[in-house]
Amino acid sequence: MASLSLCSSLSTTSTLSQNHKSTVRAFKTNLNFLSSSNSSIRLASPKQPFFVPKLSQTEAPSTLAESEIEPTTEIQPTVEIAEAEPKREEVFAVVMVGSRQYIVFPGRFIYTQRLKDANVNDKITLNKVLLVGTKTSTYIGKPIVPNATVHAVVEEQALDKKVIVFKYKKKKNYRRNIGHRQPITRIRITSITGYQDSPAVTLP
Amino acid sequence: MNKKEVFKLAKGFRGRAKNCIRIARERVEKALQYSYRDRRNKKRDMRGLWIQRINAGTRQHGVNYGNFMHGLMKENIQLNRKVLSEISMHEPYSFKALVDISRNAFPGNKTVAPPKKEGLAILV
Repeated sequence: MASLSLCSSLSTTSTLSQNHKSTVRAFKTNLNFLSSSNSSIRLASPKQPFFVPKLSQTEAPSTLAESEIEPTTEIQPTVEIAEAEPKREEVFAVVMVGSRQYIVFPGRFIYTQRLKDANVNDKITLNKVLLVGTKTSTYIGKPIVPNATVHAVVEEQALDKKVIVFKYKKKKNYRRNIGHRQPITRIRITSITGYQDSPAVTLP
Repeated sequence: MNKKEVFKLAKGFRGRAKNCIRIARERVEKALQYSYRDRRNKKRDMRGLWIQRINAGTRQHGVNYGNFMHGLMKENIQLNRKVLSEISMHEPYSFKALVDISRNAFPGNKTVAPPKKEGLAILV
C-alpha cells in the first residue's frame, strides 16, 4: 500500500508564506492500527489512498502519515476506536477562493485571503467547486461542478505573520525596511454538498 | 533598539556574524535581500516542481505533460498545477480519470507498454 503523506495544498503561486501558520488537524492516529489489522480485507478491495493536505512551506511531504481508510465490515472489536470519531464522509473538493485553489476536506480549516464583510461565525458557501472526489467516484467540473457547494464557517479574521520587506541598493545609500502583515481569514469547512447529480467518473 | 533586532535576525549565522554587530549587520542585510528575492523565486520554483510531478504522473499513463495540459485546456478544466500535482500524488484514481479525459480530448499519445525486462528480471 502506498504510504500516505501529508502534502501542501494551501497556496498557489501567490502567497506561499502563509503556509507555516496553518496546522494540520490530525485525525485519530489510532486508525493506523485499524488499517494494519484489516490488511487482509484491504487486499480484496483496494481503496484509493486518502488525501491529507499538509500545510507547510515546501512541497516535500512531511513525515506524518495518516490513514483514513474505514473498514468495509464493521464487526471487528477494534472498530470502537474508529466509531468514537464523528461520522465524517470521505470526500474532498477543490475549491477556488480568492483566485487560489485549495483542496478541502470537511472538518479542516484553510487560510484564505481576507474576505471582506465576513464576521466571525458567519456561514459561507463557496460556489466555485472545480472537482469533487469521493471514495468511489470523481466529479470533474468543466470548469465547475454544477450545483456543488462547499459550506464553511468563518473562524477568524487575522493578520498573517510579519514579513520584512527590505530593499537595498548597494553603493547608493538606499535602504528601506518595511514590515508587512497580510490580512487573512481562517475558515473551517463544514460540508461539501450538491454534487450528486453531475456527470461522474466511477473509479475502480 | 536596532542592534537587538539585528542579533535576533542573526541567529544561526556562522562565526562572528551572529555575535559582532558590524559583521552581523552586513550579513543580516544580505539575508533580508535574499529573502526578498527568494519570495519571488519560490513561486517560480514551486511551479516547476509541480510541472515535474504532473509530468511524472501522466507519463505513467502514457501521456506527456504537454499533451495532458492541452487536453485539459480543450475541455475547459481549470485546475491549476498545484492541485494537479497534489492529486497526482495522493489520488491516483482521480488523476487517472483526468488523464483519460485529456487523452480523449487530444489524442496522439502512444499507449503504455510494459518495460522490457532484461537479464535476471526475465525470470521473475
